[in-house]
Formats: sequence, structure tokens, C-alpha cells
Amino acid sequence: MDRRATFSKWSARIFSEGQSVPMNPILICRDCDTVYRALPLRRGDVALCRRCDAVLARYFGASVESGLALVCAAAIFFAIANLTPVLSIDIAGIETEANIWFAVRSLQQGWIFVAALGLAFTTFLIPAVQIGLLFWVLLFARAARRPPGFGPIMKLLHRMRPWSMTEVFLLGALVAIVKLANWVPIAAGAGFWAIAALTMVLAILGRCDPASWWSIAPAKT
Amino acid sequence: MTPLRQSHELGLVLCRTCGLAVSRAALKADLRCPRCKSRIEHRTPFSTEMTLAFLIAGITLYIPANLLPVMHTSGLPGDADSTILGGIFEFWQSGDWDIALLIFIASVAVPFTKFIAIGLLLFTVRKNSRWQQHQRTVLYRIVEFIGYWSMLDVIVVALTSALLQFQLLGTAEPRAGIAFFCAVVVVTMLSALSFDPRLIWDRRT
Repeated sequence: MDRRATFSKWSARIFSEGQSVPMNPILICRDCDTVYRALPLRRGDVALCRRCDAVLARYFGASVESGLALVCAAAIFFAIANLTPVLSIDIAGIETEANIWFAVRSLQQGWIFVAALGLAFTTFLIPAVQIGLLFWVLLFARAARRPPGFGPIMKLLHRMRPWSMTEVFLLGALVAIVKLANWVPIAAGAGFWAIAALTMVLAILGRCDPASWWSIAPAKT
Repeated sequence: MTPLRQSHELGLVLCRTCGLAVSRAALKADLRCPRCKSRIEHRTPFSTEMTLAFLIAGITLYIPANLLPVMHTSGLPGDADSTILGGIFEFWQSGDWDIALLIFIASVAVPFTKFIAIGLLLFTVRKNSRWQQHQRTVLYRIVEFIGYWSMLDVIVVALTSALLQFQLLGTAEPRAGIAFFCAVVVVTMLSALSFDPRLIWDRRT
């Protein structure tokens, strides 16, 4: 048995055909279609494909409770990020503030609004829906029940994953600070730190692969 | 070590939406995943065609995105339209080489890397190449990962315009180039998402 260190190239404790393993689940690599039998993973384990190094599975340590706690934290950070200024400038005593919505609104000029639409989706709507749906799913999972609309919700969460750009917004705000700092007094507000925290929480939640989310509420098929 | 087998050799097929391994024999006529009800295909249908179409669209949109101004500033420093490359150049000249580099990576290097990488993947898959399969799969994952960072400039322009509205010192307004640039990001992401990396490993005879 190969039980080497986490994250090393050969950390996979997953083997191709021929091993007798009590657990049935079969894993198929998304990137090269190689079939493996899953072995139970321990904390910190990552199963990598032997052929192409794709991540097949991660140890899924988050209990429903901690998942729910993270989602609640994300919701609070998201609210702060949208209710308080992310950036503010002060010119001759007149203060101007900006956050995600102000940024989206400033792009609404003529047909440039398509960019506003893109920005609204990737930095506001999709993170908001992700948080809401995860909360819904985990709330039911806590009561050991499969929530209504579980299948479509999981599909939607899977589809939305590449389009959530909170971390890019964070970097964008940093660049804007440096860009404007040469001419005007600019400061990061509470919203900035909320976005930084939101990025981290969403990253932790995002590490859990979809297959694990499915196992939260297995129930009937 | 047992030999590595692909799913079809073992009568299985992967649901790409929920990650479930489904037995082909058990798959009903409608080809729906028993767990998530998504349609299951051996390979993403029209993968290379869609990828190529989005890639061409992305390259086409990238031209106006760079030629047209992304932002118009007026006020004390004078009225000026700035393009993405012009903005990078300004940062560079004013000594903010780190920001210049960051924007250069997000707005120029990343899109170009994507164009070249996706083009290379499409070409080698079409040639049915066995060359560097592992490295090409890694390349695909890099393209997938770096894709959305190009949105950086859109966010910077939006935030700058939001802050510099009706200011005594000057105002900044977005211009058409930024909409094209946003479209480039979306279209190239769709291109990468349409590509089925399993084609790299397939042997068509």
C-alpha cells in the first residue's frame, strides 16, 4: 500500500482495478477517464490520478455543522461587503465611497452595460446564490434530510463554480488603491476586509468537491 | 500495479456533473445520470467544435478590446482616453512597475496564454497526438485555473469610475473597450469549459 505524504505526487491511496476494497465507490478521473476503486481517505489526504495527476478526491472532513457555520460566516461577510464601503476617497472633505454595487452601476453607460452585467453576475449574484443554496442544502442535511430540489441545486452549484470571482474583485480593489493613491487620499473600508474574509471562506467551501457534497444527503436515488 | 483502464473498457461512464461512475448497462435509454439526472455522454458532444468557435470569438473580441479605450478621464490631468496597453505603459513610466506587471499578466499574458494553449490542445487532439499527454492535461488545468483573473481590469475600471464621479479633481468613465474585454473573458472561459480533456488520452483509430 502506498501511503506517502499528503500533496506529494504519489499521495493517492487509490488503486486501479484488482484491489479488494470494502468500499464500493468507483472513481473516474475527470481529465483522463482512468477508473479507480476508492479507498477511504484520512485527514489531509488527497487522491491523485496516477496517469494525469488530477485530484480524484479529497478527504472530506467538514461536518454538516462546520459547513453550516462557514456558510453563515460567508453570508455575514457578504452582507458587510455590500453594506459598507470597500473603498473610499476624500477630496476636500467630500467623501465618495464604492463597493461592488457602485462598481456595477458605474458601468451602466449605453451598451457598456453588458460589462456591468458580467460584473454583477460574477461578483454579486453568483456568490449570493452559492451562499443561499449551500445554506439551504446544509440546513436540511443537518436534520438528516434531503432538501427539496437537491438534484437541480447541486447541478446549479457545479455549473456556477468557475464563475464566482470574489477573489478577483479583492485584487481589483487593491490595484485601484495603488492606482488612485498617487492623486487622492484613498482608504480601504470595512467592506474590503469583509471581501478578503469572504474569499477565504468561499475557498474553504470550494475545496470540497461536488462528489462529497452529494454524500451529505445521500438518501434515495 | 494493475494496468490503468479507461471507463469504456470496464463498461462504465462518468457523470461529469456529479462525478458518479455509472454502469453503461444500467444506463437507461434517455442517458440520464441516476443521481443528478444530467445527461451523460461518453465524451462531451461537439467539444472541439465548441472550443474552437469560442476561441475564434475570443481572439476576434480581443482586438477591439485592446484598440478601443477602456476609460476616459477628464479633469486636472487633462482629458484622456486610455487603452489597456496605454494604462500599463503609464504605470510603468510612473514607477509602479509592480502594478504594471500585474495588469500586464492579467490583461495580456493570461489571454495570450489561453489562446495559444487552447489552440495547441485543439491542434494536438485533432492530430490524435500521443505527445506529452500528461503535460498537455496539466496545461488544460492551468488554462482553466487562470481564466477568470483577466476580469481584473474590468473591476479596476469599474471601481475607478465609481470613485471618480462628479469630482472636483476629475472624473473617470468607462469606455467601450471594457465591454469587449469582459466579453473576451467570458468567451475564453466558455472555450476552456467546452474542451473535454479526456480527448487528449483517447486513441481514435
